[in-house]
Formats: sequence, C-alpha cells, structure tokens
Amino acid sequence: MAVPVLLAPAGTVEAVRAALGAGADAVYVGLQGWSRGGARRELDWDELVAAQREAASAGRSLQVALNTIPKPEERARLFERVPALLDLGIRDVIVNDVGILAALRRRFENLRLTASIGCGAQTVADVAFFRDLGAHAVVLPGTVSPAEMREIRTVRGISVEIMIHMVEEFVLLGKCWMPSYVHLKPSPHPAVLSSTSGAGDTPEGAFRGLRQTGSMKRGGVGACFRICQQPWELFAGGQRVDTRLFPSRQISRIADVEAYAEAGADVLKLQGRSLPVELLAALVRRYREAIDARTIPNAFEPPPATLPAAWAVVGR
Amino acid sequence: MNAFELNTTIANLRDLQASDLTDYDGVYLGDIYCRLYESNFLEQLGDLKEGLHILHDQGKKAYVATYAAPRNDFLPKVRKMLEASVAAGAEAVEVHNLGILRIAHEEFPELPVHVGGFANIYTAAGAEVLRGFGAVRFTPNYELSLDEIHEITATCGAPLELLLHGKMPLGVSDYCFLLDYEEKWGVKCPDLCQKELFLKQGDWAMKSLGKGILSGKDVCMLEHLPRLLAESHRHFRIETVSENPEYRREVAAVYHAALKRALAGDGDVDERSWETLRRHAHIGLCNGFYFGRSGMDYQGLRPEALGSLPTISRAES
Repeated sequence: MAVPVLLAPAGTVEAVRAALGAGADAVYVGLQGWSRGGARRELDWDELVAAQREAASAGRSLQVALNTIPKPEERARLFERVPALLDLGIRDVIVNDVGILAALRRRFENLRLTASIGCGAQTVADVAFFRDLGAHAVVLPGTVSPAEMREIRTVRGISVEIMIHMVEEFVLLGKCWMPSYVHLKPSPHPAVLSSTSGAGDTPEGAFRGLRQTGSMKRGGVGACFRICQQPWELFAGGQRVDTRLFPSRQISRIADVEAYAEAGADVLKLQGRSLPVELLAALVRRYREAIDARTIPNAFEPPPATLPAAWAVVGR
Repeated sequence: MNAFELNTTIANLRDLQASDLTDYDGVYLGDIYCRLYESNFLEQLGDLKEGLHILHDQGKKAYVATYAAPRNDFLPKVRKMLEASVAAGAEAVEVHNLGILRIAHEEFPELPVHVGGFANIYTAAGAEVLRGFGAVRFTPNYELSLDEIHEITATCGAPLELLLHGKMPLGVSDYCFLLDYEEKWGVKCPDLCQKELFLKQGDWAMKSLGKGILSGKDVCMLEHLPRLLAESHRHFRIETVSENPEYRREVAAVYHAALKRALAGDGDVDERSWETLRRHAHIGLCNGFYFGRSGMDYQGLRPEALGSLPTISRAES
C-alpha cells in the first residue's frame, strides 16, 4: 500500500521552512495577487523564489495556488507567469476554474494541474470529470468519508487529495456568494494602498490595482469576510424565533489517516495558510507521525481522535 | 410562438398541479438542494413522468433540474432520473455539478444539457470547456455583471439563460440546520422548509430552504428589459421554487407582458406591474450583481419601486 503524501500549507517563507522541518512531503503557497482568499498570507515573487529554494534543497516540492478566476483581461498576465514558474522548478499549480485548467493544460504540457477544493468535487463522477479535463490531481473536502474515497479511487489516471484538516463552513466551498450579496465593489488592493512607488507596484492579478471585495472567486483577488460566522436572527412567518449561528466545525481527521490511506488517498492535505508558524509546525508533525505510524509500528503514540482547539484553521 | 423563452422552477407535483403556467414557456422540474424536499421530482420518478406529461400537454417545454451538490450515493438515483427524463421526452436537463454533466454527456447523449448557476461559469473560456461536454445553454454564475455576461455572449456561441426575477440562489450546504427545530416547533422534515423562513442581520436578509440559501430580496429586472433584449438575451428565468402559485402566476404575467412590449419598442412599466411585484417581495427588490454592485442593491429609475428596507448595502452605507 502506498504511503500518502503529506501536503502542508504555508503563508510565509518561514512557514515553508517550518512545514518542511516538521515532515511535510510538499508545501503549497499562494502567489500574491492570484490566490483565493488573498487577503490572508500570500508570497510575492521574491518570497516564492526563496520558498522554492527551501523546498528544492530539502528534496521536496512546492505547489503554487493560482486559484482565483481571472477576468478575461487578466488571463494573459497569469499565463505569462507560468514559464517563470517552470523555470524556477515549480510544476504543480492549483487552479479553481475549468476554463483556466483547460487552457493551461493546452499551453503547458509540463505543468501538473490540481483542481482546487473550490472546484467543488465530491463524487466519483466529479473526479472522472477533472481527469478527463486533464487535471493531474483533484482536492476533495474532509467531509468525504474513507468509504466514499474508496469508491472514488476506482477512477484511474488522476491523483486524489483529501483536505483532512479544514474548517467546514455551512455553505460548501465554491458554492457561496453570500458575502458579495451584501458587499461587492471594486476597491484598492491593500498592497496598492501601502505602495509608495506608484502603479509599478500593482500586484499581479489585481487588474488596474483593484480587487472585488466580497467575492472569493473573482479575478483581482477577492476576500471573504465570514458573514456566515456572525449571529443571525431567524424569522418564521414574520416572527423572530431564534438568534443563531450557521453550523460550522473544525474537521481534523487525524484518526482516519489509516482509513484514507487504505482507501487509496494519494495526498493528505492540511488547510491553513494563515496559521502561525509554531502551530503549523506542530500540526504538520502530528500528521507526519500519524502517517509514519502506519509503516513504523509502535514508533509513535497513537494519534488522538481530535486535535487541540487552538489548531483550528483560521484561514485558508 | 414567443420571440423569448420565459421559464421557472417547480419542485413537486402538488405545486405543479396548483400552478397556472399560462405565461411561461418552460419549467424546470425538481429541487436542486435537498433529496428530502417534499415529494421532490428528482426522487419521485413517477411524479416526474407525470409532471413532464402535464407540461407537454400544456405545450410547455419540460426541463429537469439536478442536484447542485451531490455525493456518491446520489448518483444511482440521478442516473435513473435521467433515464426516466429521456423516456418521458424531457427537452433538456439542467446541471449544476460537473460530475453529473459528465454522466449526462456520456450516458444520455440524446438529452441536451443546460448548465446552471452553481456550475460556476464565470468566463467564456469556462463555458467553452463545458460545451465540449455537450452543454447547449448556460446560466452564468450569479456574481457576474451584465458587462461580464456580455463578454461571454460575444464569444460563447450558445445562449445564456438569465434570472429576471425572484430570489437568487446564494449558496448550498450539505446540512440542514432546520432539523434543529423539529422538536421545538413540532414540525418534521420535509414540512420544515415549507415554512416562510428568513435569516436577518439588520437590513440584510436571506431566505432559507434548509440546505439552500436564497437572497431575501427579489431580483427585479423589470425596468431593464430593453437592455437585456438589446444585448440579444432571449432566455429568462423567474425563480419561484420557494414561492406559492399566486407569486408564480402574477409575476410571470407582469414579465410576459413587459417582454412583449419591450420587444415592440415600449420599455415603459405601468404602475400596476410595480404594485404586483412589490406585493410579492416581502423584503424588497434588488438587481443581483447585474450592475457590478453588491447583490442586494437596486439600480434603476424607480427607487419608489423598492420594498420597505434600505437598499444600500450595510458595508457601503
């Protein structure tokens, strides 16, 4: 039985270093201006170069999230970046749109493309769709059970990743536009506001220096302001009957590492690009031990059924 | 025959039989959010066949919806539903999920596919990819503005179907939080989501269908029909899956008449039409994202047409 790859998040070069040191087989980062939820940690180009150097020197791989949905006028700029990524030695790119995925597949045959969790794949048929489209891998949410994974792994020719540590919000990832219903307008990208040297510092992906505040998926780097995690008043028949939160939960399926491995999951992925370095390292180490316990019996304590609340993912 | 197509959505046979569909050209059958929705056409295949026959007998186009967020265990039923739809002569199936798109394309190639709003078509490039999987019509993601939609129209080559009026889908969940209230309210599933339920934070409201979240305000494009027609749109939807038959009939009558007038060059809207729409929109009216603004905002010449709640989003005010 193959040992699954442990894929860790990182939002800084220091976090990349910490994740590798804690035993991650691979690390994913966001490229500034192009990654979903970009208000959280992203790496600029110089940081990306440094991160790739860290990964390469450790003999591991670095994946780059380009998982917004660029507007047509932004696509060309995104495509221009890809040869430079390949020159750096980065072949793994995470995308969130079928149009971008298909276009990158056609243009760059050496690129390994992952369909982001935001693509909404949950079923055996979804995985087959992304395989047919040319994806190298697809990410499934941690709500997909090991039993479902076993059925999904009947699809050959594509790597399957499970987001084994994540926050499950009430509305499915990639299927929510509640924030933009409340507030959507072009607004200056934070990096533009802090820039002192003019338009030359406009981040890539932020077309004309703007982003769409409120949309998680649109071009120009959206931002979710977590309206679902604020209290709501529930009205039935015009009468207020309750004040409540939408249900959400931390999924930390460390106790299911064995089951996912047996079901054929290729990659165990952790969410949390904004986790502080010390928490990230501890989290990665725990999952590393859980994976290694399968091949080195009695070497480690059995994994706990749950993880400490402090390890809750506070951002993607 | 109309120069436009006006469609709606109906979830079950009871609702279909109670509805006057005079001013509609087609109906999508089924609730896309939940398998347990009361007598959902997508689960009750005998009802589905009868529903398709009813629509055909009335000279309507009979379309079938599919689930927005299926899991593996949905798929056998989806296949049976598609098989039944083909056998009963459905004109097309609407898919929101890419796995179901693949199933429809490979196993039921004779069934035309419309791509729904949850499939996340944001660009012409995305639509082009799905055309390769047999899609012949698209509802783009609701977040797109008319300008962005126009870019798709200009290069896509397939018609788009746009939401003209009604509560706009905003999200779908794996879980129904209404089940928390079964004991407290003494109401069981599937009757829970038949209640009129709104979630509010200040001036911001959304309608709950349990697993589905819709806008609290009704998207209203009544005074913008001339622009939609000028931009070559001819396929429209009035979203009524969570509405009663009176809403379904009266709102369609308003839009059917307004579309015919607009096509004849008359874009004016009479006061009775506004009164009808205001009466049915308990929270108010909005334009969705069509004008590049927050989905709950309204842009137009008739601010008095709006409902009782403020229309400028809280974050901007």
